Amino acid sequence: LAEIGSIAQQLALLVALLGLGFAVWAGVRRSPEWTRVGERAVWAAFALTSVAVASLLTALALCDYRLTYVAEVSARAMPLHYRLAALWGGQDGSLLLWLWILGAYASAAVFAQRRQNRTLMPWVAAMLLGNQAFFLVLLNFFTNPFELFPPGQAPSDGNGLNPLLQHPLMTIHPVLLYTGFVGFSIPFAFGFAALVTGELGTTWFRSTRRWSIFAWAILGLGILLGGRWAYEVLGWGGYWAWDPVENASLMPWLVATAYLHSVMIQEKRDMLRIWNLVLIGLTYSLCLFGTFLTRSGIVQSVHAFAQTAWFGRVFLSYVGIAALLFFVPLWLRRRELRSPNRLESVLSREASFLINNWVFIGILLVVFWGTLFPVITEAVRGAKITVGPRFFNTLNGPLALLLLLLTGVGPLIAWRRATPTSLRRQFLWPATSALATALVLLATFRSRLSFYPFAAWTLSGFVVGTIAQEYARAIRARMRAGEGPLAALGTLLRKNQRRYGGYVVHLGMVFILVGTAGAAFNEERLENVRPGDALSLDGYELRYLTATPIPAQHYGGAVARVALYRGGEPVALMLPEKRIYWLEQQPTSVPSIRSTLREDLYVLLTAVEADGSATLKVHRNPLVAWIWLGAATFVVGTLIVLWPHPERRERAAA
Amino acid sequence: LSKGIQIAIGATLIAALLGGYGWSALREGASFRYYQTLAEFREAGASGPARVHGFVAAGSIQRDLGERAVRFEVQQAPPHTGGEVGPTLAVRFESLETPDLFKDGAEVVVEGELVGGAQPVFHATKVLAKCPSKFQPQDPATASF
Repeated sequence: LAEIGSIAQQLALLVALLGLGFAVWAGVRRSPEWTRVGERAVWAAFALTSVAVASLLTALALCDYRLTYVAEVSARAMPLHYRLAALWGGQDGSLLLWLWILGAYASAAVFAQRRQNRTLMPWVAAMLLGNQAFFLVLLNFFTNPFELFPPGQAPSDGNGLNPLLQHPLMTIHPVLLYTGFVGFSIPFAFGFAALVTGELGTTWFRSTRRWSIFAWAILGLGILLGGRWAYEVLGWGGYWAWDPVENASLMPWLVATAYLHSVMIQEKRDMLRIWNLVLIGLTYSLCLFGTFLTRSGIVQSVHAFAQTAWFGRVFLSYVGIAALLFFVPLWLRRRELRSPNRLESVLSREASFLINNWVFIGILLVVFWGTLFPVITEAVRGAKITVGPRFFNTLNGPLALLLLLLTGVGPLIAWRRATPTSLRRQFLWPATSALATALVLLATFRSRLSFYPFAAWTLSGFVVGTIAQEYARAIRARMRAGEGPLAALGTLLRKNQRRYGGYVVHLGMVFILVGTAGAAFNEERLENVRPGDALSLDGYELRYLTATPIPAQHYGGAVARVALYRGGEPVALMLPEKRIYWLEQQPTSVPSIRSTLREDLYVLLTAVEADGSATLKVHRNPLVAWIWLGAATFVVGTLIVLWPHPERRERAAA
Repeated sequence: LSKGIQIAIGATLIAALLGGYGWSALREGASFRYYQTLAEFREAGASGPARVHGFVAAGSIQRDLGERAVRFEVQQAPPHTGGEVGPTLAVRFESLETPDLFKDGAEVVVEGELVGGAQPVFHATKVLAKCPSKFQPQDPATASF
């Protein structure tokens, strides 16, 4: 079976290269027949990649340890779903998954657009096939997941997967991240095709709008779930550490968010044509660069990078070539792309969107600089210097506040030029909402409130005020036309789904920022307690009862029973675990979390000591649940934006 | 003033503010982290705060519940590799909260200061542990310090 995968992978490379040639030929000759051949190549390459993926999954499911990759990332004792998820537990499989998702996108995009955009299509297919060909070269020649042990040397069992990855969230988080990353290949390919053919109108982004939003939403969700995974698994009580791997996924998301906003200006006012192309080119380049960052190990050490020179250099050249293929035509076409329109006033929605773009790029620069700082210092001074979370927080904190402010301001300012009267009318209620929030905060917390949470929550009040006002006015306008309030809301969400869905996404982001600001009030306590003893933390009392062994499975260890009281009343039984994964010989702490909208109580069993006592670590993390609530709101918002309304499309087509 | 110049001035101002702010944030030494290997640390004969990289000597970990501290020794090379082990560094970690990956033979970075005269002990305020080489570095938990 492994042989089938290997052969499929080789054939896929052949098909992708041939298809690339046909598609370029079709593009140069403007030949519809060859375009169709190129499109079929996209589908054929995807079919072959699917066979390879299926073959590797089968090998994982059947514990076929003749394959080095299967032996590296899985073991017989692991449950089936983790054995399958081990497909992306290592380098080779992750790249195969990347390729497969790319193939899926490419096939779907080519299928959906098979009747439109005939001139763009050969170049779209060429770009997508070129990307696939690169990954196929990597998979066939550098990181082959189908590599076999020499005959007779295959182990009887595998190494097992890193226990930290054996978590339900880890079965979907990498897939979501990759689905997000790779999704930007579609707008990238269309942008590229527009640049090559000179069809620089709005077609390229109109055709790919839903793809961009989809990729952006999935990437955002992937990042959030990654945070959730860190919170539930890594056991340090937090969800975001500005780790290079996290940053790698955040950077393209930031640029993509900027793009989704500024492309609206192009749509409404036909401005920023070059800028939007720059943003989408940058987004996909950063997606590739992010994959490079996480896969090459360059941030861990330049030396480590030099040791795996082949992979790193090949991949980095690929990132460079992809970027050049996009940015060189963009440079050559820059005169044709000049916009006829200019910014008319600083007090306009265009201007607020522009500032929004700068802020996103500012955050990107901070993250980029901070992530690569160790690489730069190691190359220049020989010593690796890493910047800690403080660097990111001090710099990005104010930028995030500015962004929050703009989230509230943007919808209130008119396009082109805002008048003082309209400003007064628009800002009255949101400003009142902000003021009310500020007063309530001051009354509740008095001097315990530091600047950052105060500002974040006050601005959140402002944004919520804006969103509520936008909804209220629109609904009232429809009600005057005779609709009931609920029907009016439904019409809004259907007829103007991007605007009103977008506000729901904003609301989700507000929740997330409200939650992160809660970290200013975090408390923690580490205590060694004997059975029956209690430790207290801010009104809570935690009584350690006993520790019992975990029923044996592929891991063992101890589970502590800790009774949680609040004001003398029992509220919950917390069961933090200290697991030991037998095969991997790795201890892992599994926190027990009690989550409420007000705060999380996060209990870790740091150690069961030799004398029978237990060392417990307790975190009180206010408002963390709002982050996950925000994530859910974010999903609802993007669903509203992306929900297909067939009747609208028919009207648009007519 | 034309719109273009207005915008340019605004952009420059904001960029300058951010740049200055960023520079000051970078200069605050506290946000820097770097480490030396044990050999480099010894060679430098350093006093003052340091971050030292090494491996936990096998069988050296002692948890002192009364003093709420963990004592262990750090050596230059990983144990069980047959190489020269050399003199070890005695470490006293001022907490009972050791990371999961911290165990015999684990690769660690200890952050703190060398204290004492004849038999100096490294008083660590932070211990970071890395996964032994069994897994490829590929996820946030095991990938970096």
